[in-house]
Amino acid sequence: MNQPAEIRDRSAFGELLSAIAVESRWLIADTAVMTWRNLIRYRRSPELFIFSTASPVMFIFLFNYVFGGAISTGDLNYIDFLMPGILVQTTLFSATQTGVGLAEDLQKGMVDRYRSLPMARSAVLGGRVVTEALVSLFVACLMLAVGYVIGMRFHGGFWPGFAVPFMVAGFAFGFSWVAALIGTSVRNAEGAGSLMFFVVFPFTFLSSAFVPIETMPGWLQPFTSINPVTYAVDLGRGLSQGGPILTNAWPTLLWTLAFTFIIGPVAVWRYRRV
Amino acid sequence: MTTQTLQSPESPLREAVGSVLYEFRWLLSDTAMMTWRNLMHYRRNPETLASTIAGPVMFLLLFNYVFGGAIGAGRDFNYIDYLVPGILIQNNLFTVMNTGIGIAQDLQKGFVDRYRSLPMARSAVLGGRVCATTLVSFASVYWTLAIALIFGMRFHGGLVPALILPLVVAAFCFAFAWVSALVGVSVRNAETASSSTFFIAIPLTFLSSTFVPVETMPGWLQAFAEVNPITHVVNLCRNLAQGGPLASYAWVTAFWIALMVIGIGSLATWRYRRIA
Repeated sequence: MNQPAEIRDRSAFGELLSAIAVESRWLIADTAVMTWRNLIRYRRSPELFIFSTASPVMFIFLFNYVFGGAISTGDLNYIDFLMPGILVQTTLFSATQTGVGLAEDLQKGMVDRYRSLPMARSAVLGGRVVTEALVSLFVACLMLAVGYVIGMRFHGGFWPGFAVPFMVAGFAFGFSWVAALIGTSVRNAEGAGSLMFFVVFPFTFLSSAFVPIETMPGWLQPFTSINPVTYAVDLGRGLSQGGPILTNAWPTLLWTLAFTFIIGPVAVWRYRRV
Repeated sequence: MTTQTLQSPESPLREAVGSVLYEFRWLLSDTAMMTWRNLMHYRRNPETLASTIAGPVMFLLLFNYVFGGAIGAGRDFNYIDYLVPGILIQNNLFTVMNTGIGIAQDLQKGFVDRYRSLPMARSAVLGGRVCATTLVSFASVYWTLAIALIFGMRFHGGLVPALILPLVVAAFCFAFAWVSALVGVSVRNAETASSSTFFIAIPLTFLSSTFVPVETMPGWLQAFAEVNPITHVVNLCRNLAQGGPLASYAWVTAFWIALMVIGIGSLATWRYRRIA
C-alpha cells in the first residue's frame, strides 16, 4: 500500500505535532457535539431544568426570609451575604447531575454505542463537564436576577460583579470532574445520586455559604476554613460586595485546577477502563 | 330455608346499644390488627424507618452546630434547648406523612379490595395506618430526646411537663396523620402522596417557630407563622420542656387536634368508604 505523500516528507517531531493537533481538534469537536447533545436533553426534558432552578429559588426564599432575620452576619445584609453562598451551593448541587447523567449513560448502554463510533472517548466526560459549566453559568445569572429582585445589591463595582457568574461556572467546571469520577466509579444512577449527597451536603453546609464560619464551634472551623467551597463563596462575596479578592482567588483557582488536572485525568482513566 | 331464632327477648334500646358496643369492639380489634400489620411492615423493611431515625440526628447536627452559632448569638436561650422541641414536631410530622403514602399504596395495589372481602370494619384500614405511624413517631420522640440529651439539651421546666411532652407530640402526630390519610385516599397514588409531604409538611414546619423565633421573620411571613398550628404546638412543647406559659398554646393546640381528628378524620373515612 502507498503511504500518503504528505506524511512521508515530515520529520518525526513534525509528525507527532500534527498528530496531536489532529487529535486535539477532534477532541474539541467531539466534546462540542457531546455538549450539544446534553444541552438538547435539558430542552427535551424540562424537569431536569426545573430541578436545577426551582430548588435554588426555594433555598433563596427559605434562607433569606425564614432564617435570614435570625442569622447575624455582622455588617452585611443577609441577602448580600447569602447570594454568593447560594450560587456556589446551587452549582454544586447541579454538578451532581454530571455524575448521575454519566452513570445513567453507562447503565443504559449509551456509552457502548459511543464506543462503536469514531470519536474521542474522553469527549463523553468532557461533554458532560462543559455542559455543566454552561448550565451553571445560566443558573447563576438567573439566581442573581432573583436575588436582585428581592433586594441583593452589588457593592463591589461593575466588573467584579460581572465576574461572579463566570467564577461560579469555573468552579462548577472543576467540581464536575469530581462528580464525573463518582459517576464513572459507581456506574449506577441511584448510587451516584446518593453518594453525591454524602459529598455535596457536608461540603456545602460546612462552609461559609450560609453562616459566617466564626459562629461555628471551634472543632468545626479547621474543616470549614480549608473547605474549597468556603474559598469559592468568600471569593464570590469579595467580588460582589467588595473586600479581599486575591486571598480567596488563589485557593479557589488552585482547587479548580486540582480538580480539573488531577481528578479529571483519573476520571478519564477510569472511564476508559469501563 | 329456616330462619334462626337467636335474638334474645330484649328491649329494642338495649339491642341497639348492644349492637353499637359490639360494632365498636370489632372496630377496635380490627384497628389493632391493622396497626399490627403495618408495624410488621416496618420490622420487615427497616429501611423505611431510616429517615425517622437519621432525620433528627442530621437536623440536630446541622442546625445546632452549623447554623446554631449564628442564630443563637445574643439571645437569651441556649439554641439547642430552643431547637429540640421544633425538631420533635418537624421530624415526626414527616414521619406521619407516611400514613397517606401507605394508604395510597394499599389502594393502588388492590390490597383494599382484598380487605373488602373480609368481615372487618372498613375504617380499620385507615385507623390502622394512623395508629401505626403515630406509634412510630411516639417511639421516635424518645429516640430524638436521647440524642438531644447527649448533644447538650436540658429540661428546665420540671419533671411532670417533661413527661407530658411526648404525649403532646404523639397526640398532635395522631391528628396530623388524619390529614395525611385524607391526602392518601384523595390522590390514591403513592408517588403523588409522597410529594404531598413536600407541599404540606415542609412549608408548615419551616414557616413556623420550629427553627427560628417568629419575631425575626419579615412581617408578612409572621402573619402566616402566627396562625400556623405548628407554631402553637412547637411553642407548647418548648414551654413544656423549658418552662413558660402553657395554657394559651395548649388551647389552640387542642383546638387544632380536635379539628383534625373529628373534621378531617371523618372526611377521610367518608371518602374512603366511597371508594372502597
